Amino acid sequence: MSKWLRQTLLRSFASLAVMACMLSANAEENMPVETKVRFNEEIRPLLTRHCTACHGGVKQAGDLSFVYAEKAMQVIEPGDPDSSYLLERVLAGDDERMPPAEHGPRLSEKEVELLKRWIKQGANWKAPWAFEKPERAELPPVKNAAWPCQPVDAFILSKIETAGVQPAADEIPLRWLRRAAMDITGLPATTELRETFIKEYVQNPTVAREHAVDALLSSPHFGERWASVWLDQVRYADSMGLGLDGYRSIWKYRDWVIDAFNQDMPYDQFTMKQIAGDLLPDATIDDQIATAVHRLTQSNEEGGTDDEEFRIAAVLDRVSTTWQAWQGITFGCVQCHSHPYDPIKHEEFYQFTAFFNNTVDMDLNEDWPTLKVPVNPADHEQATELWKKLTSKKQELWNKQFATSVTNPAWKSLRLDEVASSTATQINIDRKEDHDEFYTSGTLVRDTDITLTSKLPVDMTSLTAVRLTVLPLDPVKAVSDSEWGFVLSQMEAYLNTPEDDAPLKLDIARVIADEPFPIHNPNDSLNDNAAGFSAYSRINQPRQAAFVLKDVTEIPAGSTITVKLKHRIWILASFALVSRRGHLAVTDDPQVLDVGKAGEFTALEKEIKDLTAQQNKLKSTTVPVLAERQNEFARPSHLFIRGSFLTKGEEVQPGVPESLPPMQVDGKASRLDLAKWIASPENPLTARVAVNRVWAQLFGHGLVATEEDFGSSGELPSHPDLLDDLAVRFQTDLQWSHKALIRELILSSTYRQSSKMRTDLDDAANVLFARGPRQTLSAEMVRDQALAASGLLNRDVHGPPCYPPLAAGVWTPFKASDKWETPPPGDPQRYRRSIYTYVKRSIQYPLFAAFDAPTREFCAPRRLRSNTPLQSLMTLNSESFNECSQALAARMTSSNDHIEEQIHFGFVNVTGRDPKPEEVATLKATYERIREKSNAQLALTSIATILLNLDEIMTR
Amino acid sequence: MNRLTIPQELARQQIELTTRRHFLRDCTTGLGAAWLASQTMGDRVLASENAVSAITHSARVKSVIYLHMVGAPSQLDLFEYRPELVKYDGKDCPQKYLEGRRFAFIQGTPQLLGPQFPFKQHGQCGAWMSDRLPHLAKHVDDLCFIRTMETDQFNHGPAELMVHTGQARMGYPSIGAWTTWGLGNANENLPGFIVLLSGGRSPRAGNALWGSGFLPSVYQGVQCRSKGDAILNMSNPDNVSREVRRDMLDALASLNQESYETFQDPETLTRISQYEMAYRMQAAMPEVVDISTEPEAIHQLYGSKPGAESFANNCLLARRLVESGVRYIQLFDWGWDSHGADKDEAINGGFSNKCQDIDQPISALLTDLKQRDMLKDTLVVWSGEFGRTPMRENRGGTKMPLVGRDHNPAAFTLWMAGGGVKPGYSYGELDDLGYTAASNPVPLRDFHATLLHMLGMDHSKLSYYYQGLNQKLTGVKPAKVVHDILA
Repeated sequence: MSKWLRQTLLRSFASLAVMACMLSANAEENMPVETKVRFNEEIRPLLTRHCTACHGGVKQAGDLSFVYAEKAMQVIEPGDPDSSYLLERVLAGDDERMPPAEHGPRLSEKEVELLKRWIKQGANWKAPWAFEKPERAELPPVKNAAWPCQPVDAFILSKIETAGVQPAADEIPLRWLRRAAMDITGLPATTELRETFIKEYVQNPTVAREHAVDALLSSPHFGERWASVWLDQVRYADSMGLGLDGYRSIWKYRDWVIDAFNQDMPYDQFTMKQIAGDLLPDATIDDQIATAVHRLTQSNEEGGTDDEEFRIAAVLDRVSTTWQAWQGITFGCVQCHSHPYDPIKHEEFYQFTAFFNNTVDMDLNEDWPTLKVPVNPADHEQATELWKKLTSKKQELWNKQFATSVTNPAWKSLRLDEVASSTATQINIDRKEDHDEFYTSGTLVRDTDITLTSKLPVDMTSLTAVRLTVLPLDPVKAVSDSEWGFVLSQMEAYLNTPEDDAPLKLDIARVIADEPFPIHNPNDSLNDNAAGFSAYSRINQPRQAAFVLKDVTEIPAGSTITVKLKHRIWILASFALVSRRGHLAVTDDPQVLDVGKAGEFTALEKEIKDLTAQQNKLKSTTVPVLAERQNEFARPSHLFIRGSFLTKGEEVQPGVPESLPPMQVDGKASRLDLAKWIASPENPLTARVAVNRVWAQLFGHGLVATEEDFGSSGELPSHPDLLDDLAVRFQTDLQWSHKALIRELILSSTYRQSSKMRTDLDDAANVLFARGPRQTLSAEMVRDQALAASGLLNRDVHGPPCYPPLAAGVWTPFKASDKWETPPPGDPQRYRRSIYTYVKRSIQYPLFAAFDAPTREFCAPRRLRSNTPLQSLMTLNSESFNECSQALAARMTSSNDHIEEQIHFGFVNVTGRDPKPEEVATLKATYERIREKSNAQLALTSIATILLNLDEIMTR
Repeated sequence: MNRLTIPQELARQQIELTTRRHFLRDCTTGLGAAWLASQTMGDRVLASENAVSAITHSARVKSVIYLHMVGAPSQLDLFEYRPELVKYDGKDCPQKYLEGRRFAFIQGTPQLLGPQFPFKQHGQCGAWMSDRLPHLAKHVDDLCFIRTMETDQFNHGPAELMVHTGQARMGYPSIGAWTTWGLGNANENLPGFIVLLSGGRSPRAGNALWGSGFLPSVYQGVQCRSKGDAILNMSNPDNVSREVRRDMLDALASLNQESYETFQDPETLTRISQYEMAYRMQAAMPEVVDISTEPEAIHQLYGSKPGAESFANNCLLARRLVESGVRYIQLFDWGWDSHGADKDEAINGGFSNKCQDIDQPISALLTDLKQRDMLKDTLVVWSGEFGRTPMRENRGGTKMPLVGRDHNPAAFTLWMAGGGVKPGYSYGELDDLGYTAASNPVPLRDFHATLLHMLGMDHSKLSYYYQGLNQKLTGVKPAKVVHDILA
């Protein structure tokens, strides 16, 4: 049988099987409900456990896969277990059985029975649960109807009651307040809030709680606390990573996230702005700052690095991070092969990659393209206006210039008579049909000047402009495999006439290149700085610039022109950016001179100059952003064979995996289409992943415990109906509002339960949520709480990175210019919240490292929590904590004259509750003992240290 | 003070094992292990739960001392004698060696560069060595050379990460983290993974070279510093004596016990025990790192000077740490990037000084471990992050005034000495120029597999489920143990 025939037969067999599935779905309805096998809950995990290692997405032994229905149905006869080859092999004797003994144990009787029943019922196949659109769920019936006070409560209670128990009692109100304050703002409640709460609670507990939650949600510290959760997802750091790990100015993005939470920006918008803010119609400065999310990738500024290699690494990381942070799916493995467990194919990874593969950025330490952003948020509006005007004026000017000086004139191509090089780089001539090209060979030497001499066309009597076209050395291959580019640091042109002995230097007025928004100003090719007309840092298409003379230059018959191309940039201490192939053309069109003279051009130039001057008046910083390459230079995307960019396969177009809802677009999909697709209610993952993340932050673990994996290898949701209902309501009733979602959860009866471990229930992990959460504080909270309790905390919001105290010897940056300068004790900048601390990837702030903060190289969907002696040493001995202890002791001293009262004051300040008498007694006795050994001040500071190390406050 | 009694302690562990296992159970997520990080049993810090299955055989090696020469020393001027390279010194490199190769700095057609120092054979095994490491040359019969190490990275940052984490990007666990995660530590009062730096600079990728990646942070390497506290925040604040600290911890433990009684949260008991461990560490660590207590003869042997930041001190300290039961000790010595771009690193410049800095201390370490009968179960590893080219560097396409070589990922030398490896043995053959492996190439993943094997672990089983993959030190490509080098 031919391969084709076999495949066709197989295919029709598969579709028959699928039809059979559908037919038998009706038969299934007649089955008794209790025996209905649920595919995603019962069968898929069984297949994942026993079969997919060999018959999965990567390895499809015997061309069989249990990831794709049509392949699985080759061995399954829906409705007929006895003729299903699958069961035959599962039940076969030891020589034949699946899985083979060396791969795993035989399926248990229970599992076999389950498989049989499933096949008998029609082998109903479903997409993985998280790939199906979530739907609203009916509130389940509960016995204790008085307990639920928020929609989520009924779902939780129903399961608790099924387990035969009752929910835990309410938490002590002040403990609830502390928990809510830490969860919402990352800081303990202020004294004022606590006092108001106590007062109101006596009147009406419900109102008191609502008021407290509303006050906390409207605090600017809400944004700081929740931004830190998001910054883990998007690997925020203030340094570049890898080779030199130099400083990256990107803190405006961090502030953007803080503001987005504080302004309660709906999550769909939050999503769209970050993925494609630059492409939104009428984009503001802030929309563009949002795109810096994908400039947080690591770059490698080390000498001798191939920037295309690391640019691609950054693009792939953008893809992985987008999937991980927004979709809860681990996508990275699909770089090399199809997903082992989930229905995502190898080529689909590269289709998705294509959305991100056409941006201007590269892997160089300038971090271009960057956006100028005012330091002061109040100036953003004005900056947006100026930026919009500037952009449109620049575009308008360029459109006119390019048409006038490059597109419209009739160009005459030149032949080359002589070529010369100032270095060992060899220059050669490639004779084409109608022109000559120069090209380099041999060792490409830095600082090479290329000199080209040509006869001017015989029919030309005057000259107005010279056009230079620079091509890749291998123009065909470079389209997909770009080459190192060039920077024309200086261009000089000379006219050699038969009459004059000395060449006449041509006076060039303007350089008009082929980009409206170039990285280097092409006019810099006219001065002696290193910049100029460039393809920086790579070239994959021909590039052009016209060098327009100041005036019409007469050309005596028999004249030649000499053009000198000077190159002065070599980057990464290694790569000489020299033009490696190119050709010249000339024109006598007098119109081109307009670009340097005519009113419409110079008027626009003046407007641009004035707008730039206004822009410069705003005190600004820069942010690297995403920007698409212009269409002419669009970068094609390819599949990488075995994941390596050096071995490119077929070209791919942007697209999303077939197993997810299709993208609604006409023509080629853009990054903006992708953003809309992710933020669409049709996307089954976005809202689920978002609500699960919030849930996990508040309750200690998600409804899907594997927050990072909503796929087949992750855990199934503990409360699927609740997750789906909440996901749908997040999009609809709650209008994608984080504040509304958090408010509902914190005011729920579920959240309000006491966190005491339950002895009546075998659920220490609290899967049922039958008690309140008790979580270890995050690294940021550990420090911020100590600052707040000691009264040192500086509550300013926003600003460039901060440099809190750091032990000597820790700061050993690779770049000496990267300084850590801690303000002196007493300076408020020393006590800023932790989120503002400079995040350097190669030198993590020791306190954060000890308390499990991720190093922000990659998306970190959830933090692990450890409990180590190094943590104890931090909070007992570090300079920061010691300062907090001293400050707290000073506050305790000035609060009252009596030691009991001082201890009481300190205790309340730290824990948010009154101490029990025995607690005061223990501390007082310790105070006395230490005072006898030293002095009162040290004794009180020691008490403050003890308070700041209480287990009670290391948790929330 | 409310110390836990043994029954209490056991009860606590029982709670942890049962409760934590559930939430982070090892169905598909391997996280269960994370939580066992902090618990102690007897005198041994327990290895993580699902790493246990990776321990497949008894180990020859109890501790590892890894000497990393940061910047990548030239194997062609130390260990790899190539007569052909002598012959072709100064000639243009044939194109067949250049086609399809990517270089960091070399442009166009470079010239070949012969060995810059005289070579001769040493010891019973007759291994060739240049005259730059005369002390070490006396130990060749203890060394096991892998001459054909390969990496796929030719820039320092990614290549250093490849050596220590098996991945070219930051964010993955280092060998030391995997090792302590897998095996635990033999001394509960000291960290199991300690990092020592010399040469005046940290390696490029910094902490990422000794990070724990997705493993819990407790497995991070702890940098032991030559100035100030050996371990950050090891000493109490001014005026807080050990007695005062004891009083504080007693009060803290009693209040925290109270907290435990209220919430019954096992994490609280763990926290109490961590404060106690910190207290013990404060006593143990300064003693271990105080090399001034060593006799003068030892200092002469190593060339160590108490109080300085030096490679010699670090070698001596490494021995003391091994003696105290520390599992994995990582030394980084900066300054081996011999491009010829400046005097300090040129092969005809600072290279000789660097050789001098390490020669005596490494020999002393081998001698000392041997005389204490510790070499039998300690493994000393020496390497850079890649090798150097047989071509002379011509940065920017120009002839450089000083002599240097570019990065060569295709071959570098790694040697080992001690428990588990064949002494006086060489593995792998280079081509005539010393540029690539002619036989038996050893990619880093195979070295990692071999190292784990010597530690008693199966690299294919030492895995941690993260981001949809059973993550391994050896990565996704198949790795194999190089059995030929094992004793």
